[in-house]
Amino acid sequence: MTDLLLSQIKLGDESPSGTDEYVVNLGPQHPATHGVLRLVVKLDGESVLETIPVLGYLHRSIEKICENRTFPQGITYTDRVDYASAMTVNLAWSLASERLLAIEAPVRAQWLRMIFTELQRIASHLLWFGAFGGDLGAFTPFLYGLRERERILDLFEMTCGQRLTYNYIRIGGVMIDVLPEFVPKCRAFLDYFEPKIDEYEKLMTYNPIFLERTKGVGIIPAETAVNWGICGPSLRGSGVTCDVRKQTPYLFYDQVKWEEPLEYGADCWSRYKVRMNELRQCVSIIRQSLDRLEPGPVEAKMPPILKAPKDSEVYFRTESSRGEMGIYLVGDGTAKPWKSKFRTASFSNLAILDKITRGWKVADIMAVLGSLDMIVPEVDR
Amino acid sequence: MNPEELKSSLERDFAGSLASVAVTPQKEVLAVVKAESYVDFCRSLRDRKDYGFGHLSCLTAVDYPAANKITVVCHFWSYEHRHQLTVKLDVDRGQPKAPSLDGLWKSADWFEREVFDLYGVVFEGHPNLRRIMMPDDYKKFPLRKDFTDDGFIVKPN
Amino acid sequence: MSGADILMTVKALLQPVFQALGLSPTLQTVVYAALSAAVVFNVAAGLTTFLVWMERKVSAHMQSRIGPKRVGPFGLLQTVADAIKLTIKEDVRPAHRDKIPYFLAPIIGFVAAFMGLVVIPFDRGFVVEDLNVGILYVVAITGFSVIGILMAGWSSNNKFSLLGGFRSAAQIVSYEVPLVLSVIPVIMVTGTLSLHHAVEYQAVNGWWFTSLRYAVPMAVAFMVFLTSATAEANRAPFDIPEAESELVAGFHTEYSGVKWAMFFLGEYIAVVVSSCVAVSLFLGGWLAPPGVDALFGMMHLPFLPGYLWFLLKLLVIIYFIMAFRWTFPRLRVDQLMDFGWKVLIPIAVLNILLTGLLVLGA
Repeated sequence: MTDLLLSQIKLGDESPSGTDEYVVNLGPQHPATHGVLRLVVKLDGESVLETIPVLGYLHRSIEKICENRTFPQGITYTDRVDYASAMTVNLAWSLASERLLAIEAPVRAQWLRMIFTELQRIASHLLWFGAFGGDLGAFTPFLYGLRERERILDLFEMTCGQRLTYNYIRIGGVMIDVLPEFVPKCRAFLDYFEPKIDEYEKLMTYNPIFLERTKGVGIIPAETAVNWGICGPSLRGSGVTCDVRKQTPYLFYDQVKWEEPLEYGADCWSRYKVRMNELRQCVSIIRQSLDRLEPGPVEAKMPPILKAPKDSEVYFRTESSRGEMGIYLVGDGTAKPWKSKFRTASFSNLAILDKITRGWKVADIMAVLGSLDMIVPEVDR
Repeated sequence: MNPEELKSSLERDFAGSLASVAVTPQKEVLAVVKAESYVDFCRSLRDRKDYGFGHLSCLTAVDYPAANKITVVCHFWSYEHRHQLTVKLDVDRGQPKAPSLDGLWKSADWFEREVFDLYGVVFEGHPNLRRIMMPDDYKKFPLRKDFTDDGFIVKPN
Repeated sequence: MSGADILMTVKALLQPVFQALGLSPTLQTVVYAALSAAVVFNVAAGLTTFLVWMERKVSAHMQSRIGPKRVGPFGLLQTVADAIKLTIKEDVRPAHRDKIPYFLAPIIGFVAAFMGLVVIPFDRGFVVEDLNVGILYVVAITGFSVIGILMAGWSSNNKFSLLGGFRSAAQIVSYEVPLVLSVIPVIMVTGTLSLHHAVEYQAVNGWWFTSLRYAVPMAVAFMVFLTSATAEANRAPFDIPEAESELVAGFHTEYSGVKWAMFFLGEYIAVVVSSCVAVSLFLGGWLAPPGVDALFGMMHLPFLPGYLWFLLKLLVIIYFIMAFRWTFPRLRVDQLMDFGWKVLIPIAVLNILLTGLLVLGA
């Protein structure tokens, strides 16, 4: 199979610099790429002529499996679609199923879902921060980011017993109510974390070497980005208002005050800055949600077997940490979906890699990949 | 436009191209388009200012072996007007062929490759219709309902 | 016991041995030089062992971790354990390598780095051989290591290694120029290429930063030197040749066990040599900081011998070089070149002009 791919890459005789072109494999095992991703790169010296991502190394046929599982059973698979941001995928599936099955979750559950989704967004961005620094050669941000992330994972473990694949946000609400000490611990974490964001910005954002590596690199103009299906913070880095939480508010995102951070540089630095600003917004949302938390049930009354109506379907878009997470479910009158589709942000964001790295250097592929915040299990499902 | 307005507007503007338009119980607008007007319809959706569907959110397919068809499903979103539209195109299951939307939205590129890989739908006009998840020389189409596992694939020496 | 005392004692002990063996004076010099080289080599190797531990501890504490703590007190024996592991590791060699360069490359890298230690004055008179072309010799010899890197990159039969080798060669060649240019002001003022004489000049005329006249140019020269030395040793932020996140491990991808250890040690020794040169030229070598001896005299404390002051200053510089690695992201290869050619060289040249004017004005 490799021969088919490599035979399609034509090595020209006249490269721009007059030297030979050659093909290099970055991955699938590689310390840099965020997961098992293979990039076949055609190079002329250091300059990239063509980048072909080869997917499928992490294809676990989750969509096909979900056709054989009931709607609640599908939630365990959603954790694995994006393991760095599992709560957001849980949420997307739950909201999509609820719309399909005409279930409404109680108010307390909605607030709890918001809190956990935003905490997850912080955790995911911290992991991205570390990985991005690591891609560029700065090893220290990785440890700082993970140190903070540990505290969030402790909060998650206290609530649902899991640190990575939570299966917490369920159809009809959440799995279990939070412990009494959750709220003060969460507030303490937010108070501790907010000044840390400024600390990290001091370390990286205006560092001359970091600026050299990211300013002006990987520019995606706004129209191109929309046409290529880029979404999430990567699109906001190009100045397009696209946050699903603002465009079609779900949960209570329209009842808390928060801003959608935008940058207009459209380069890696802008995408980085958008995510750093998002961290601040997440903290603000969580604080407001904690204030609005009222006692109440956390799970809706549902029939024991959830059956979707015949010939029904739903396409529900949510904003995961990486961008737009859309879940398409088709019901056929039974308890299992006829079809499930995960529209993941990383899949669309990766497609543009070839276009924007042509003519740049190998090191820029890493910078761009890092700034697009890609998680490979999302790409392959 | 809210779903009702969008439905009426589509019925008014594209009566000839669409087989049906409806608002589902889940409050989504669902349009089934005729094969010959598929590309033009989508182009109008993108280019007309009152629709403004600049974002192809998802392009996938659903397999209905009982009805001997595979349905290509596109979900469009407009950032300006904030409305969503689902467009369906039925293709014959024996010889699945559909026009490609790659010329209109580049995000269709990889979506259509995935549909080709997993369902076998050939998109005409696609610049690079190759498998994307499965190996290039794989013969079956995994997401079809009649897919059976090969077990271990023994490579020839 | 000062360095000079130690030397005299050793010489006194060796004389009867030489007499007994009936060696001619030339042979005596050769044996003496070989012995001193062996001693310096061993001390440097031992120092490197300590430095590896220091790097791990420094990086750990900067990253909110602890670092090695189990092997020996404070994890001090960690490097010993690593060394043992590396020596008993299987020597995995690619089948289609180019055999002779593959074998020679780590040796060249290793030897070229250690050879620089020959002219470093650790204390008054405490130098293996005080060549009167001291600095020139150091710069020339450390540039020699690039041949080892190119050989490694080529012979490994691996595109990543080749890329790493090219990048490293380009980098080292580019940063040789500001390295040399930055020591020229020192040479202009001291009037000598010998490191030993440079320190003696500072003994007489005071450290650079205490002098009103030369403080600024020397400070600039010091910073340019330190930056170029970090680049010469392939250390972050100039560690493109070994960029783990891009090329797996660059030019030494295909080396394992002792061969890799030699590259690794060579890199540390290059850092040590550059730091030694920086200490000798800019920070007063074996001299106590101005006023400290008087202070010790007043407090009736014994004077620290010169080589201990040298070691202290060396550790401070090495600490900074280590801190660079764990703070900054990595420069892209063309940005690295730009920085060397378009920023450091003009600064160094202007510095030479400035120093020249100041020297003439004296």
